[in-house]
Amino acid sequence: MAQPCDPTTKMFQAGLLAWILPGAGHWVLGQRKFALVFFLAISFPYLTGVAIGGVKTSVNASANKWLFLAELGVGGYTTGFSMLNRSIGPVKEADALKYISYYPASDVAQIYLAVAGLLNLLAILDALARAQTGGQPVFAHETQGDPSAAPGGGP
Amino acid sequence: MIPALAYIPFINPIDLPSWLRLWTFLPLAFCVALVYRATRAHSTDRLVWRSCITFANIIVGMIVIALGAYGLHAGVLWWSE
Repeated sequence: MAQPCDPTTKMFQAGLLAWILPGAGHWVLGQRKFALVFFLAISFPYLTGVAIGGVKTSVNASANKWLFLAELGVGGYTTGFSMLNRSIGPVKEADALKYISYYPASDVAQIYLAVAGLLNLLAILDALARAQTGGQPVFAHETQGDPSAAPGGGP
Repeated sequence: MIPALAYIPFINPIDLPSWLRLWTFLPLAFCVALVYRATRAHSTDRLVWRSCITFANIIVGMIVIALGAYGLHAGVLWWSE
């Protein structure tokens, strides 16, 4: 049975939680301020993107699979909005304007959503690095100016 | 039948005016700067200030790229005449 302080377990927890909810990985590592920063800086573009584009156009794997792949960087939100999208069902042509966005709103929504998903990948990697190094960022050795301070030691 | 016409957030899209499209870049660029700076920081002290500097760098960089692309485009048009 894995110990609660096992670094591998901690990394797995942090990575999974960060994928489900932005900032949650840092929260379980005890870095509450970073958690808040990541939560706000990633949730804002994601939710803004869905609000601008509407869930029917913006979180739809069959409409744009590459966008959906980028959105999957924020797994919790994308799963929830994808389920909401399915619950609406097919849109009648007469109701298209109510549910489907067009240029320029759809473009802006796509950019916001893709950037949010990719930013969360960065946040997940940061959470993994901090879980491994006891709270230090992966670039710690650069900011300290000492290569030997790198995680795992330097040359 | 007001509910049928009401706006439901996340379900009904927002009718974004064309002129606003360029300005939506600014908050997104700030979020990118904030996340980037947060991944490189030991603590959250002065994180907002550092993010503002990165944000300014992004904006200046994008303006330079835009001017360069505009100049290249204008140059190609002038050369092809």
